[in-house]
Amino acid sequence: MMSNLINYSLSFQFINKRQLSIILSLLLIFFVTLSVAISIGSFKLSILDYFAGNLSQLHQKVLLHIRAPRVLLAALVGASLSLSGACLQGLFRNPLADPGLIGVSSGAALGAALTIVLGAKIIPSYLFGPYILPFSAIVGSATVIILLFAFTKGFGVKSMIYMLLVGIAVNAFSGVGIGILTYISSESELRSLTFWTMGSFGGVTWDLILPAALTIFFAFLWTFRISRKLDLLQLGESEAYSLGVNIKRLRFDIIISSAIIVGISVSLSGMIGFVGLIVPHLARLFGGVNHNYLLPASILTGAIIMIFADLLSRVLIQPAELPVGLITSAIGSPFFLWLIFNMRKK
Amino acid sequence: MSIVVNSAFYSVKDLEIVKDISIEITPGELLTVLGPNGSGKSTLLKLISGDIIPTKGEIFIDSEPLKTISIKRRALKRSVMSQSQQIMYDFSVKDIIRMGWLNDLKNKNNFNFLNILKDVSSECKISHLLNRSINNLSGGEQRRVHFARALIQLKNDLNNQDNKYMLLDEPTANLDISYELNLIKILKKEVSNGIGVFLILHDLNLALNFSDKIALLKEGRLVEFGQPKRIFNDKTLSKIYDTPISVDLNSKRVNYY
Repeated sequence: MMSNLINYSLSFQFINKRQLSIILSLLLIFFVTLSVAISIGSFKLSILDYFAGNLSQLHQKVLLHIRAPRVLLAALVGASLSLSGACLQGLFRNPLADPGLIGVSSGAALGAALTIVLGAKIIPSYLFGPYILPFSAIVGSATVIILLFAFTKGFGVKSMIYMLLVGIAVNAFSGVGIGILTYISSESELRSLTFWTMGSFGGVTWDLILPAALTIFFAFLWTFRISRKLDLLQLGESEAYSLGVNIKRLRFDIIISSAIIVGISVSLSGMIGFVGLIVPHLARLFGGVNHNYLLPASILTGAIIMIFADLLSRVLIQPAELPVGLITSAIGSPFFLWLIFNMRKK
Repeated sequence: MSIVVNSAFYSVKDLEIVKDISIEITPGELLTVLGPNGSGKSTLLKLISGDIIPTKGEIFIDSEPLKTISIKRRALKRSVMSQSQQIMYDFSVKDIIRMGWLNDLKNKNNFNFLNILKDVSSECKISHLLNRSINNLSGGEQRRVHFARALIQLKNDLNNQDNKYMLLDEPTANLDISYELNLIKILKKEVSNGIGVFLILHDLNLALNFSDKIALLKEGRLVEFGQPKRIFNDKTLSKIYDTPISVDLNSKRVNYY
């Protein structure tokens, strides 16, 4: 099966052997990180012990119903944000695009917050059940991406600054929205609202993760179809068109898939900044800029980094917990400065 | 069989940029488009490539209306080199040229690419640049790379029976004279192999010496269209450029200073 996979990957000849070995190593590191993160915590629970049957009933429960879903969610969210960052950086031809920075995440958060506070009064719960939250988050992030596109269209490379400014405005607007909602919310609504601003992977259950994982997985597959077209898009929109790329269709694909994966991620974990910005740049540093490599490499790197960030948030100040968004921002903001500094040199 | 522009108009808001232009690009001919700045040359090219849609009039490629040809099939029939844009990420020159290799989009296994890449890059004199990053090249070198990409786009083996066309917007901008001549030489060779070329230029002498047909544009209108010898004369050119210009058809020289 492995050799099949290799042949399949090499048949797209724009992923070279070096890039393929990077992706396979990342895959290996991912599985190692996953098992380590499941094992470490306030209880030490080795995954090996679980398979050997050496764990007590309680420990098994902790592992299966608390630790494992949490670590998997971290991986899922890291992968989603990074993939969406890579796609948006390609679509906007702009290295500063990041779902958090340009307001896509906060759009999702506003969508979710609106549903938490007002939704119950308007939408009967039997309509969407627990999925109303992810759904409204997706609507929120899609709205922001479409807005961004309308505002930055036709500005070419200069749109870089423009897009960040629009992002600031969107972030501020969502901030106001969430602020107002916080003000009018009840005690219990307030508790779930604060969650959006800093992000956390705690308290997630399988019945929320599984459908999310499935949807995100299909969104991943959807994006892989377009990776070569994203390469061509880097020549400019009309050049890509003259090479046979249906630009409107490509835009639609990216906007919808990004909105879905960011919306679901934010609805399950709150706003977590900078991962979508940094990870694609890291992946480019490892192995190259072509999207056939960049997208899978970003997914894996993002998952690994997020599992680590979540691990830090759980163990740094045990038994309490640091918000994971705090950790990613602490690592991400210096990197962001470095990026801007480097661009100025160019 | 040819590309036919049938009385095309294009306007943005109230501004008419292209007014009633009818023109034909024939396989095996080099058509040069000349005209002062803002005369609608690039807009005409975009209309023919399908990048923008005429507000009135119609365009046919080999008697098929352009609007009924799918975007993918258009890419097989014609390649376009426009005034290039900055590329954000560090693609190599080879990556950029490969973007013109349409067989990739079909995921067809192909072993021809490397051979064709070798031929085209030595023809365009960029073999030594293949592994460099596109962003580290000079403006002229980047133009040569994009030209090679437009060239390779027509070398795909996906539909060999159709006519093929190249639409080029000032491909010689930023090129020194030796590369300029080299580019024209390549174009002449492609034309003799049956490709139809639509070439926007500013150099009147190049146009006079190498074109099979010339189109003269002014203020969005087609002023003259035909063989260089027939339409190049002092009066027409001086009027188009609002500058005294003299043409010597025997030595094939245009003088304007």
